[in-house]
Amino acid sequence: MSNKIEVLKKKAKYIRNQVLDMCVKAGTGHVTSSFSSTELLVALYYGGILKFDSKNPKWEGRDRFILSKGHASPLLYAVLADLGFFSGKELNKFCQADGIFGVHLQNDVPGVEITSGSLGQGFGVAAGLALAAKMNQKPYLTFVLLGDGECYEGSIWETAMFASHNQLNNLIALLDRNWLCATDFTEKILALEPMREKWKSFGWEVININGHSFEEILNALEQIHFRKNTKPLIIIADTVKGKGVPFMSNIPLWHSVAPKGEEAIRAKEELNKKENE
Amino acid sequence: MNDNLKNISMRDSFWSRLYDIAKKDRDVIILAADMGAPALDKFKRDLSSQFVNTGIAEQNTILIASGLTLGGKKVFAYAIAPFITLRCYEQIKVELAAMNIPVTLVGVGAGFSYDESGPTHHTLEDLSIMRTLPNITINNITDNVMATAFADISYKSTSPNYIRLDRELLPIIYKKGSDFSAGLTVLKESKDVYIVATGNMVHRALEVTEELKKHSLDVGLIDLYTFPINEKLFLEVVGKAKRIITLEEHILFGGLGSAVAEVLADNNKFIPIKRIGLNLRKGYCYKYGGRENIQSLYGLDKKNIIKTILSLK
Repeated sequence: MSNKIEVLKKKAKYIRNQVLDMCVKAGTGHVTSSFSSTELLVALYYGGILKFDSKNPKWEGRDRFILSKGHASPLLYAVLADLGFFSGKELNKFCQADGIFGVHLQNDVPGVEITSGSLGQGFGVAAGLALAAKMNQKPYLTFVLLGDGECYEGSIWETAMFASHNQLNNLIALLDRNWLCATDFTEKILALEPMREKWKSFGWEVININGHSFEEILNALEQIHFRKNTKPLIIIADTVKGKGVPFMSNIPLWHSVAPKGEEAIRAKEELNKKENE
Repeated sequence: MNDNLKNISMRDSFWSRLYDIAKKDRDVIILAADMGAPALDKFKRDLSSQFVNTGIAEQNTILIASGLTLGGKKVFAYAIAPFITLRCYEQIKVELAAMNIPVTLVGVGAGFSYDESGPTHHTLEDLSIMRTLPNITINNITDNVMATAFADISYKSTSPNYIRLDRELLPIIYKKGSDFSAGLTVLKESKDVYIVATGNMVHRALEVTEELKKHSLDVGLIDLYTFPINEKLFLEVVGKAKRIITLEEHILFGGLGSAVAEVLADNNKFIPIKRIGLNLRKGYCYKYGGRENIQSLYGLDKKNIIKTILSLK
């Protein structure tokens, strides 16, 4: 295994620990939704894919990252704090009276582009940013992380249609396909499959990967700034909701819940067991 | 004066002026949700790279407008009024209001403008819902001179704003170059009684105040076009009035009359108010036969308004 992958794996474990700690302390936050997206976000920010400057969050040349599944905010906040966009002390003040952020993503936090929490909206804003880049002949890329549950929103498909029609090949969507919503598995609630065919028929290039494999994520994204294709790209990342903590994984009741007491201790233990990586 | 604005629609007045602005500033973009206008044909022809048809998808239209604005563009999002407000209300809340993204929404079809089209196209609730949102300014346009002026005001605005246009060809009552920055204009002064009207009902109020002279009633008239209300100026004008009558082709809950009552209540002004507008307790309007006919069924015609005012004690 290459050294880069090893470093990213360690970082993912560190970030998951940060997310768990801040949510346990706050007594709230979407832990399992953050854990399914962890490798995707760590690869973007630490894998040399996303262009950014933590000392100058509004740097004009930055790639735009839009977290459309805004309930995974603890994950993005943990990453941004670690990269120095703001003080790591803020994580301890998650949802506190003297803190700067709460459960859902807000745009006034350094490094965050939009307010998000109502699903199906960040995706369209991302498409607008991509269109602006085309109009302004700017080379930045716009990345957007979608949850699979938000693909129930009609606005997602309005945007999907718009992006391919306008050949927004500078728009890169990452779909966290963790197969769960708030109350049940997606295929039981209302089938989202066949996802790949849906996106293809909407005019997108589709790549399917294992969303917890850094090898597969990097393989899909490492050359992204040199991509030659007229279509927007979606990477459907197969993931596990709650990845890293088996007793919280794939159980709908753990949506938007932070473990307490004994369960918090157990979560921490499971997260740091070698076999759960 | 105003010759070039005669016999054209409000939307054409607005878009014609925006054409001139957009020619000089290539960052001005129009997003149209499958909505046209004669003046837009010229825009599309000459400034094609600044015009995007987003299809019948208003939610996405707001989102694209927001992303474009974050990317440095000055965006105008255009559709029939109920669809660019109610249909995409939550996108307006989260993107425009919560993030204070300065997109201009342009809606055509205020009140019963689309008279023959029925309740899906009538726009009777938008003032109520839009004025509850922070950061957003609503500008309910009275005539073509004002429409033209608000193309400039919107262009310079640093917060979101909703331009509410009538579809009917309404008379021009303002002189070219009038200043609309105060948000309201006193069209007739009075010591005792003021009608406060908005949009197309300003024209009706002008007829009504003339008619009331025959009854020896000296009634003033305020054209109130910008929400939130300019409280300071409004109170300066009506502070000593003995009665206020509000007039709107809009549902009474939360509309102009409510907004005026709020200002008076919040400032300890105990002036009797009569709100004239739409009572839809029996349901939406499925009546036809032209706008005048619909207005008469709801008490918004000249005769009924005068009757209502004369009955006030």
